[in-house]
Amino acid sequence: MHIEIEDISKEFGATAALHPVSLSIPSGALVALLGPSGSGKTTLLRILGGLEFPTAGRVRFDGQDATGLTVQERRAGFVFQSYALFRHMTVFDNIAYGLNARPRAQRPSKPEIARRVTRLLDLIQLPAIGPRYPSQLSGGQRQRVALARAMAIEPRMLLLDEPFGALDAKVRKELRQGLREIHDTTGLTTIFVTHDQDEAMELADLVVVMSMGRIEQIGRPQDIRAHPASDFVRNFISA
Amino acid sequence: MKQPLVHQSPIPGLGLSAGITLTMLSIIVLLPIGALLLQGAASGVDVMWAAINTKRTWGALLLSFRLSLIAALFNLVFGVAVAWVLVRYRFPGRKLLDAAVDLPFALPTAVAGIALTALYAPNGAFGAIAKDLGFKIAYTQWGILIALIFVGLPFVARTVQPVVEEIEREVEEASATLGASRAHTIRHIILPMLTPAALTGFALALARSVGEYGSVIFIAGNIPMKTEIAPLLIVIRLEEFDYPGAAAIGIAMLLISFMMLLAINAVQVFSRRRIGYV
Amino acid sequence: MSDVPIRFRAATEETPLARFLLIGGVLLGLAVLLFAPLIVVFFEALRDGALAAVASLANPEAASAIRLTLIVAAIAVPLNAVFGIAAAWFVTKFDFRGKAILITLIDLPFSVSPVVAGLCIVLTFGANSLIGGVLVGHGFPIVFALPGIVLASVFVTFPFVARELIPVMIEQGRAEEEAALTLGASGWRVFFTVTLPNIRWALLYGVLLCNARAMGEFGAVAVVSGKIRGQTATMPITIEMLYNEYLSVAAFSLAAVLALLALLTLTLKTGLEWRYADQLAANHRH
Repeated sequence: MHIEIEDISKEFGATAALHPVSLSIPSGALVALLGPSGSGKTTLLRILGGLEFPTAGRVRFDGQDATGLTVQERRAGFVFQSYALFRHMTVFDNIAYGLNARPRAQRPSKPEIARRVTRLLDLIQLPAIGPRYPSQLSGGQRQRVALARAMAIEPRMLLLDEPFGALDAKVRKELRQGLREIHDTTGLTTIFVTHDQDEAMELADLVVVMSMGRIEQIGRPQDIRAHPASDFVRNFISA
Repeated sequence: MKQPLVHQSPIPGLGLSAGITLTMLSIIVLLPIGALLLQGAASGVDVMWAAINTKRTWGALLLSFRLSLIAALFNLVFGVAVAWVLVRYRFPGRKLLDAAVDLPFALPTAVAGIALTALYAPNGAFGAIAKDLGFKIAYTQWGILIALIFVGLPFVARTVQPVVEEIEREVEEASATLGASRAHTIRHIILPMLTPAALTGFALALARSVGEYGSVIFIAGNIPMKTEIAPLLIVIRLEEFDYPGAAAIGIAMLLISFMMLLAINAVQVFSRRRIGYV
Repeated sequence: MSDVPIRFRAATEETPLARFLLIGGVLLGLAVLLFAPLIVVFFEALRDGALAAVASLANPEAASAIRLTLIVAAIAVPLNAVFGIAAAWFVTKFDFRGKAILITLIDLPFSVSPVVAGLCIVLTFGANSLIGGVLVGHGFPIVFALPGIVLASVFVTFPFVARELIPVMIEQGRAEEEAALTLGASGWRVFFTVTLPNIRWALLYGVLLCNARAMGEFGAVAVVSGKIRGQTATMPITIEMLYNEYLSVAAFSLAAVLALLALLTLTLKTGLEWRYADQLAANHRH
């Protein structure tokens, strides 16, 4: 899905978290929103997901105005930094949650739900963990379950907030590869937020460098590296 | 390998603190409860059973338990609502309300008892309204129910409140991003997370209500088989110097509270094992 | 063009109607269930004017009840504080087998009906009992006398101080005490200069709750006191006697004094919770 962000701004009281920013994300791209904390990258992601509302500006999905869509209507697969797994549910029930939450008329049958959950568990290469509870999983497993849960609703896009932030270096490398593979098989427009320039450069097709609520530069990783648009970008990517 | 009874510690005061703790615990709690059980054993099972197995005693025990159960169920629902409103919403007077929820803990039961009676008696502020509607509250089981709701009110609210505070916003947001309506999120995410704490508060309120005396006897009417609660029957037996009879009912009530303690522990152990939190 | 003419509702909020109904229901419920009884106490006390209310407190019966209640609290609360500190020290500074059982036993009085507590004390120390018989023989009656009332009050308030202190002292660990010991401090010095400053607000909090309950206890005291006018009738017992004699203003005036004490307790308790939240038990709610 093609996403267009037109002059989106966000104020929290008197402070501006986002100055008007505009950005066009082509369908099927894997995009990194890169920047230090306070740069507005998470706010932008949450606005796309419908969890935060812009003070002004428009969001379009495939040309359609999506600014007023509720979070439920957006069908954005959102992976939270803390994963936000439901602790009182098994992994199976976590992944099935979005399907079970649909109105009865649109809800798949029980066997169909089970089939889809099984397929997603295979996709994240953890076929046997369905009956377990989140508290019994490792950090990396939780992250993959959160991803599978977001995929289960057949999302129109994937939004990930610091998806590898809480993991150690080794697991982080493996899961980066995993996200790349899932993106390539599904072809979903995928946007992830990170403060780690290596991660952004290695994984993304398109990197959006942000600072202080503004977009500093948009470009392919090699272009940004070769031609940083400002001192800030040069310093940030060489850090 | 067998563990030593007490591990060595460089900190002084073991003898003194253990001595005070165990002596006071023994004299004030264990010895008296032991005396109650001893009285039961001395009378023998037959005498005890005969004392309990009368229509009047069964009536009192069942009345206490039944009305306590209804009051605790009311407080289960109301307490969750109170906790939610106090944590999630901002409105003028919220902090005052938060402090006031503990009033039933702080207000002496006799004071609550006469106040509720004054309020719900036929000539009282609320009692008069009920009377106009052809309805009597004080000196009926409704009156007992209101007193039991009063004493049990803070338990669920206070056990649930910290859990509501700890719910991560992201969990609720995750539910919404997966397409769940707010109602679905409340029913399938929030309420299940509150259940262990709410059940603990429910059991605490129930245990408190079953044994409650001061706030109930004024409003109850105290008619055998109708509005006579179990603790009152103990007092009556004692006034008749029927110690075995009083002990029999006392032991029955002790067993009820003991079972409720076990239930509370079971809820917490289950919840910790399965879900990893209480 | 860039204006957003849409009303947004956050994903974690209820609809305004649901919110209004919830707040309204809770306010109405608390007004009827909590505030109305509290107001009635003062309303009934002042029914014949403030003078009549004050005069009823000055009569010998009420005066003796107030004196007795203060004496009981003055004995029971320090006893409880000493027990609470000793128990918390024992439980948190040492590791021993059966700790969980000990904590359960300390909490036990919370789940025992006050009337059953009184019954237990009568059966243990009453004139017909083994111990009580000996004590009465030596001119030291417990039941139907001050010691029985104190015992009953300590029983029903038994866990109050200990359960406030134990979580706080667990959280603070043993390192500070151990450090003080390596610096050559004696045991008592460690307690007074290291431990006590760390637990003082939690201790005060527990003492406050303990005092409120001790001064207001009715069921257990009703059983052990014998309700002898001018001798073993505490304030709550006297309220009952006055009320049953249809001396409504006198009963409610005495009740108003206890209600004021309850309000004072709540105020101080809330103040402590706001000011020293970090130094109180994490689960200070009962």
